[in-house]
Amino acid sequence: MKVTVKHWHAVATWRWDTGTDQQTIDEEGDVCGICRVPYEGCCPSCKMPGDDCPLIWGECSHVFHMHCLLKWIGTAASKQQCPMDRRTWVTAERKVAPTR
Amino acid sequence: MATTALRAQVAAKWQESFNRMNKGGSGISGLMTFSRAWEVATEFLRPKDISDPASLRQYNLVDIKNAFAAVNQARRLPVMLEVYMDDIRKHQYLITREVTTYMSHYEQLMDPEIIAKLVLRLVEWYDAWAPIPELGHTIRDAYTLTFQTHLFSILPPSFARGFKALCASTLPSVSTDSVVDARPHMWAAFETLGLFDRYEALIASVVYQHIESHVVKTCAGQWAEPVLPNLRDWMSKKVVKWMFSPYARGAKTMEDAALMLQGPGQRFDFHMSKTLCDLRTREIFSIIIDYPDSMGALQDLKECLQRVDQRAELVRTLRRANEMRLLHPGADTKDILTQYVSTIRCLRVIDPPGVLLFKVADPIRRYLRERPDTIRSIVASLVGDGESGDSLVDENEPIHPLQQPETEDYTDPNWEPEPIDAGPDFRANKPSDVISTLVSIYDSKDLFVKELQVLLAQRLLAVKDGNFEKERRNIEILKIRFGEAALQVCEVMLRDMTDSKRIDQHVQSQHASIMHPTIISRHFWPTLESSSIVMPGQFEKLQAQYAKEFSTFKPDKKLRWLPHLGTVHLELQLEDRKVVADVAPLEAAFIELFSEKNVWSLDNLIPRVGSVDRSSALKALATWLDLGVLKEDTENSFRLLEVAEDPTPGARPAISRPGATNFTKNPYLAAHRACAGIAPVTDDLPPASSIHQQQAEQMRVYWKFIEGMLTNLGSLSLDRIQAMLKLAPGYDRTIDQLASFMEAARREELVMTKDEMWRLNR
Ligand SMILES: [Zn+2]
Ligand SMILES: [Zn+2]
Ligand SMILES: [Zn+2]
Repeated sequence: MKVTVKHWHAVATWRWDTGTDQQTIDEEGDVCGICRVPYEGCCPSCKMPGDDCPLIWGECSHVFHMHCLLKWIGTAASKQQCPMDRRTWVTAERKVAPTR
Repeated sequence: MATTALRAQVAAKWQESFNRMNKGGSGISGLMTFSRAWEVATEFLRPKDISDPASLRQYNLVDIKNAFAAVNQARRLPVMLEVYMDDIRKHQYLITREVTTYMSHYEQLMDPEIIAKLVLRLVEWYDAWAPIPELGHTIRDAYTLTFQTHLFSILPPSFARGFKALCASTLPSVSTDSVVDARPHMWAAFETLGLFDRYEALIASVVYQHIESHVVKTCAGQWAEPVLPNLRDWMSKKVVKWMFSPYARGAKTMEDAALMLQGPGQRFDFHMSKTLCDLRTREIFSIIIDYPDSMGALQDLKECLQRVDQRAELVRTLRRANEMRLLHPGADTKDILTQYVSTIRCLRVIDPPGVLLFKVADPIRRYLRERPDTIRSIVASLVGDGESGDSLVDENEPIHPLQQPETEDYTDPNWEPEPIDAGPDFRANKPSDVISTLVSIYDSKDLFVKELQVLLAQRLLAVKDGNFEKERRNIEILKIRFGEAALQVCEVMLRDMTDSKRIDQHVQSQHASIMHPTIISRHFWPTLESSSIVMPGQFEKLQAQYAKEFSTFKPDKKLRWLPHLGTVHLELQLEDRKVVADVAPLEAAFIELFSEKNVWSLDNLIPRVGSVDRSSALKALATWLDLGVLKEDTENSFRLLEVAEDPTPGARPAISRPGATNFTKNPYLAAHRACAGIAPVTDDLPPASSIHQQQAEQMRVYWKFIEGMLTNLGSLSLDRIQAMLKLAPGYDRTIDQLASFMEAARREELVMTKDEMWRLNR
């Protein structure tokens, strides 16, 4: 018998490639450290997830919703530091999500 | 010992009385005149037997009057009247005899005309025995009383029946327009004999019954237009005209008559309203079913209820009807909702403040709350699910935001106190739109929003042609009802759909694939049951290839497959035939494994598709058994049929396949298969019939479903079967196709039909 697939309507979810590729990671724990919303959700000022509310990667390896981080950096209290480790924030250029 | 004085006194008294009787005549000549006058008068008064001609004679009225005057002058009148009344009593047997004769005649023939004759005859007796008017009304009243007392004591029970029939016969006929002679002389006779006063209630009951039969005959089931105007017209033209004889007797002028008719006229008009009210109350459940074609009946009922206090009865009747006909396990939730919505609309016509609705709706709402599929049905209707019949929402009704129950606002100038029968639980809700009312069955609208998401997810994932404009329109409407925020999640779902399409266009342009995934944002879709299926063979390669192209296009994103979702369209090339099918991924996975080798045991198959429970695995395999692609040789051992074993594939329905395995009897299987929308095609069929055959084959998939329904519900109409099959996803047959399938099943003696109801042939 030969099985020929003519058409396959499949379903998938998309994930940010945050570098931590283990599927074993606690999925609910995969949240932005600033707003506590999952990365694949959207930050409090957005309504659409994904390309409209991209992530930003730091050299320190921390990842946030880009809008959350920019808002944080904009405050005086931030001293331009990563909110997680208080190291000066340096965006990891390679991983910046393409803005539209 | 009489003294001299006493003797003298007696002598004087005697002389006085003699003189009175002798009228001062000389000697005893006056006394002789008196005795002749006594004789003449008593002879005149003596009750005669009017049926004996010999006893009848003519009197000289002047002589009679003189004789009475003489008796009166002699002060002997009271004595004579005592004698007269005694005589009357002694002759009452004549009346009794007459009544007995007539009544036994009546009892034989039951003809009310005999009663009419008896009444007129009794008046003859009454007149014949009556004293002359000159004797004064006291005498006459005493006579009348004696006569009537005797008469009423001898009338048998059958007289009342006959009398009633006689009265009824004078009424204008219900069935024809002919006007019956009202027979005024007969009513005069009733009056003379005191029958009118004695039988007043009976006469009224004749009219009441007449009104009742007219109302029921002309108005039952006539709901489109109000009937009250016609009834009032009939009352004034027919009934009032008739009422003149019995109720306005003795009226000298029209004004007098109008005054006399007023009281009974109002009673009869009230009775007409009450009769119509009773009729519409009895019919209320069906009136609601017929809404809006029953507006006339609702307007009548509203008007009647303002006159007749029957609101409690209406509530009681409707609640009982709902309990018996609606709120039971055999009724579809959809039907209950439809009737509830109609009830809301109807009772608002009858009773705008909503007290009746509140009382009637309460049990319906409690019942609906306990049904598991109520929210789903309401939501399906909200999104205009055309498949499940009429929408609950009137398309012309403007779309409103949901209304929350309001507390009473006493500063509102239009505030009115609650109606008197409102009861302590009544909430004076402003009339709100139907959807708000339905949503308020539950305490929170969140349940609806969640259900909406689930329904939308199912529908979006089932879209095959990439066209989900209908869902987009629905979401726009729902935003108005539930608010933008609640529907934000749905917006993301729609965006995922457009994004998926765009991404797929790009991927296809880079590396054409037969795979076309929907890529969803996982936090914005209802929790889709997870699965750990691993697609084997070529499927795994297809997934990997597509995921790679995706990540090239979106370098910061990855795909994670939900392998149990979606549909696969396959073509199987077997030695002697080709089978084409739309199947669920697990089914595709299994058949892919059979391209490796022909025989598999269940225990070996399961680990090859990751992890799946045995019952799901068996369900998936059953699909291929039903298609004749696989065969279960021994329990849980499956073999590929490279060559079809059934000499005429598709000629017999799957259910009659010999050796059907026990799990294929599970009705859920059929539903599951129905979801997959299996469409087998065999090459050896003549092309002209192939489409027809294909459809017949597809119908067989639904047989289990039908069998399950008929097992559980006894017998069903074709419409009902069709409606229930539509609940099976993927079912798209027309009722005509279903009809020919059922006909085929009947020929195979699987079902039988009687009075357009189908049931299993057992
Ligand atoms: Zn954030
Ligand atoms: Zn954002
Ligand atoms: Zn950091």
